[in-house]
Amino acid sequence: MLSFIGRSVIQKTITLFFVSIVSFLIIHLAPGKPSQVNPMNPKFTPEILERFQKEFHLDKPLYVQYLYFYRGLFTGQTVSWKDNQSVFSKIWGRFLNSLPLFIVGTLITWTLSFPVGIRSAIYRGGIYDRTTTFLSYLLISIPGFFFAYVLIIFVVNHFHVPVIGMETFGIANSSIPHMIMDRIWHLLLPSVLGATGGIAILSRYVRSQMLEVEGQDYIRTAKAKGLPPDQVHYKHAFRNALLPFVTMFGLILPGLIGGSVIIETIFSWPGMGRMAYDAILARDYPVILTVNFVSAVLVLAGTFVSDLLYLVVDPRIRL
Amino acid sequence: MTVKRFFIFAPILLIIVLLQSYFWEPTYEEQTKGNPARLTEYITGSIGDASLLNPVIASDSASGDINGLVFEGLIDYNKDLRFRGRVAKSWEISEQAFFYVNPSARIPEWGIVDAASLATRIKHAQKSPIPSDPNLTASLKRITNISVIPPRTYTVEKSIKKSGGGQPKTIRFQVTAPARIKLVLNQVDQHLFQNLAHLLGKNYFESFRGRNYLTCDARLTAKQWAAFAKELIPATEHNPILLFHLRPGVKFQDGYPVSAEDVKFTYEAIMNPKNLSPLLSVYEPVKTIEVIDPLTVKIVYKRLYSPALSTWGIGILPKHLLDSQALKKEAAALGKDQKTFSIRQSAFNRHPVGCGPFKFQTWKSDQYIILDRFHDYWEGPPNYHQYVYRIIPDPLTQEMEFYAGTLDSYNVEPHQVMRLEKDPRFQHFSGTSFGYTYIGYNERRKPFDDPRVRRALGMAIDINKIIKYVLYGQGERITGPFVKQTDYYDHKIKPLPYDPQGALKLLAAAGWKRNKSGRLEKNGRPLEFTLITNNGNELRKAVLAIAQDAWKQIGIDIHTDILEWSVFIQERINKLDFDAVVLGWGMDIQPDLFQIWHSSQTHPYQLNFVGFKNKRADELIIKIRQEYNHARQVELCHKLHALIADLQPYTFLYVSKWTAVLDKRIVIKTVDASGAVQYKKITPTKTGNYRYYFNQWVKLPQAPQFMDKG
Repeated sequence: MLSFIGRSVIQKTITLFFVSIVSFLIIHLAPGKPSQVNPMNPKFTPEILERFQKEFHLDKPLYVQYLYFYRGLFTGQTVSWKDNQSVFSKIWGRFLNSLPLFIVGTLITWTLSFPVGIRSAIYRGGIYDRTTTFLSYLLISIPGFFFAYVLIIFVVNHFHVPVIGMETFGIANSSIPHMIMDRIWHLLLPSVLGATGGIAILSRYVRSQMLEVEGQDYIRTAKAKGLPPDQVHYKHAFRNALLPFVTMFGLILPGLIGGSVIIETIFSWPGMGRMAYDAILARDYPVILTVNFVSAVLVLAGTFVSDLLYLVVDPRIRL
Repeated sequence: MTVKRFFIFAPILLIIVLLQSYFWEPTYEEQTKGNPARLTEYITGSIGDASLLNPVIASDSASGDINGLVFEGLIDYNKDLRFRGRVAKSWEISEQAFFYVNPSARIPEWGIVDAASLATRIKHAQKSPIPSDPNLTASLKRITNISVIPPRTYTVEKSIKKSGGGQPKTIRFQVTAPARIKLVLNQVDQHLFQNLAHLLGKNYFESFRGRNYLTCDARLTAKQWAAFAKELIPATEHNPILLFHLRPGVKFQDGYPVSAEDVKFTYEAIMNPKNLSPLLSVYEPVKTIEVIDPLTVKIVYKRLYSPALSTWGIGILPKHLLDSQALKKEAAALGKDQKTFSIRQSAFNRHPVGCGPFKFQTWKSDQYIILDRFHDYWEGPPNYHQYVYRIIPDPLTQEMEFYAGTLDSYNVEPHQVMRLEKDPRFQHFSGTSFGYTYIGYNERRKPFDDPRVRRALGMAIDINKIIKYVLYGQGERITGPFVKQTDYYDHKIKPLPYDPQGALKLLAAAGWKRNKSGRLEKNGRPLEFTLITNNGNELRKAVLAIAQDAWKQIGIDIHTDILEWSVFIQERINKLDFDAVVLGWGMDIQPDLFQIWHSSQTHPYQLNFVGFKNKRADELIIKIRQEYNHARQVELCHKLHALIADLQPYTFLYVSKWTAVLDKRIVIKTVDASGAVQYKKITPTKTGNYRYYFNQWVKLPQAPQFMDKG
């Protein structure tokens, strides 16, 4: 066990190192320059461009820039080129904004997918199964932004309540329960929208996993023993069907930092995705690279956690 | 089964918790109508967030919006787009001019004279007018003082760049300057030396060799010598002077009075290389800035450069919050290196203090910026108590918020104009923007070197149809490179007609004839080229397709290409590797066209990428930037406009129109001297600016009824 952890940490550090190099190269070799070095602005003379290049170390060879950047990152000195704010404090602020959206979205996805998927597996081929299959494919194929617009227009026109932003604009001086409920209301639409695709896909997974397990011999045995159907489904079958989802749980960790550009833009949510997207458009290298690095760390941590979870839940696996 | 029960109740519970929050939610009605404070707020939306709330270092439009309200400059544009005083009460423009006494030049009638007698003789000429030469007489009349600067010897250090890169080298010059005559003029006269040459001899200034008065400790090429001689010891020199008289009693939002020191400090903050100000080049022509007294500041320029006046619209920074002492204190408090800590790092950029009508209150990144009205604003506080700038990146969401009443204005998309203009709930305004779209032709390549071909290409495209169908009518024709609302633009110049037959005739005159298959060719070579534009701009893509179709119809073999923006700029435009291009320019109100149209700007990475070279145009461009008199400037601009319209280096397509809708309850409220309140309908200025009287806007509980007459 300990040796597995040790090996895994070493392997992942090496992977991270290569990820850092590759992501650095991709971003620097991609066409386009930081907006501060934008040559189409007539007010920017070559002297100013040169000065910016120097300030951002863009005049140095790539490997020197790489060292400068990662030294800054590990000492916490990195600042965004756009507004000179510390990159970490920017990311932290946005992370806190995206976190509730992520938590509620994940809760909705996971609590809804399982009952839906299990029921379709149990009543395979019935009307319920076919309806959910149809709905799932419908939800997967509708573009998120379209669905979002339809929902916003519907809610605003029929209920006359604000839906965009993290809180109702101008609500600052109302009571605490009001503020909390207001926040929850504003979470509802974006997190439901964020979850729809997830529910559609995850419930299909649950269904196929359940079906696979339900076909096993020991399930037939259990049924033949005369156990109540609920016990067969939820104790014998479900527990075994659950195994692959444990690994999936580890992999949602990177979603913490990803955020959704489209949902956040439509709902004016000041989240992670929007910040990263703006940074890419402005070629704000420090922000892009830091987000990239943090998400790489989270991906690796996620796989590590799911390995460990697997170990815990499946006694057959020994490392 | 607990598991089963959990699966049923957990989602139900979650959904109930989420949905019940609806009952706590205030409706739009409660927010907008039931809330009297809402009437005192002006809420507007923006696609993007601000980055730096400091006029000296910000360069994005969102920051510009806020900076324009929090900060105030010495001057700004009035409703006719002419200058008016803000922090400055008034200003005077004068000039001092210098020329070196040329010891080798013979002056007609006077022979070779020394400095002192030269000065006396010019003074004498002033008193006895020369009727045969009115220009000279006029120039002499402007001179108010003549003095002699005795010869002097000094050393200067200059740095030169090595051709192969690397550290610049410092070299020392020994200058033995001859005597110099200083002329003080009561107004700027760009033709002064030209006219004086009538008195002093045609070659008096041209035959002066600055090179003879310089020695250097390094070896220099002839070109470098010429450049340094021109810089260190120029035969003639114009130094325009701007004297600003500040308005007494103007205060910053923290109570400190605004003084000339703050103006000087703002300039120094821009010039300080540590601050990396993007405006550096704009203030480069300033020679010195001098505080005469707390309310007077004198700015001397290195050369004639009339757009310089407009640069003093820059928001004035408070010196007491940002000077080196204040920054040192801040750096120490944050534990940062005091040497590298600059205005760029200061927390001021997120908590600005200026002397504009609104005072900064809060900024939540990517959510909103709130400004309060500034009670001690010199012109009286604005009627609105609060200005709120909400960041709503999606246009549709903005529209929904506008209908719901939580935004007071909305910038309408072209396709919505027809519908929203008729909506009785709103008042609407529209105007033309300060920018135009064009097709530019690379004149280095054939056949675009022939103006007839360029004109023919323009005539083959039905531009009115582009405006009608691509822009939904939200655009206007434009014929030249000046802002259409300004006097500089000559409305008498007619746009190119749509005339494919005429185009074919012009092409035939240029040697391009249609062959049997209908294709245009000259000496057996078909007329073939590629039109490119950037990806991501739907309007330009549509123009590209329409031009392609129109040109195909008259027999041109035309290819098109759409490229990603940075590839488009770096690989094609900057490297001058294109035939024809669809692009747009944003324009400044000032008529300075040097960077885009002067022949010296045709190299790679410069903005005259079409390679427009015309001696007459060069001359006019220089004269326009040296002319300080508005009427004369307008006259020169009209000439340049006609010249460019004649040569058609671009096919000028259109300026787009913008339309904004506003809540009908918003009106202008004025209080006259007797205290009587008067409400007026908001009317846009001649130039289309409906927010010109923003500080007097007020929102009434009910939409007012205005009488048409009486």
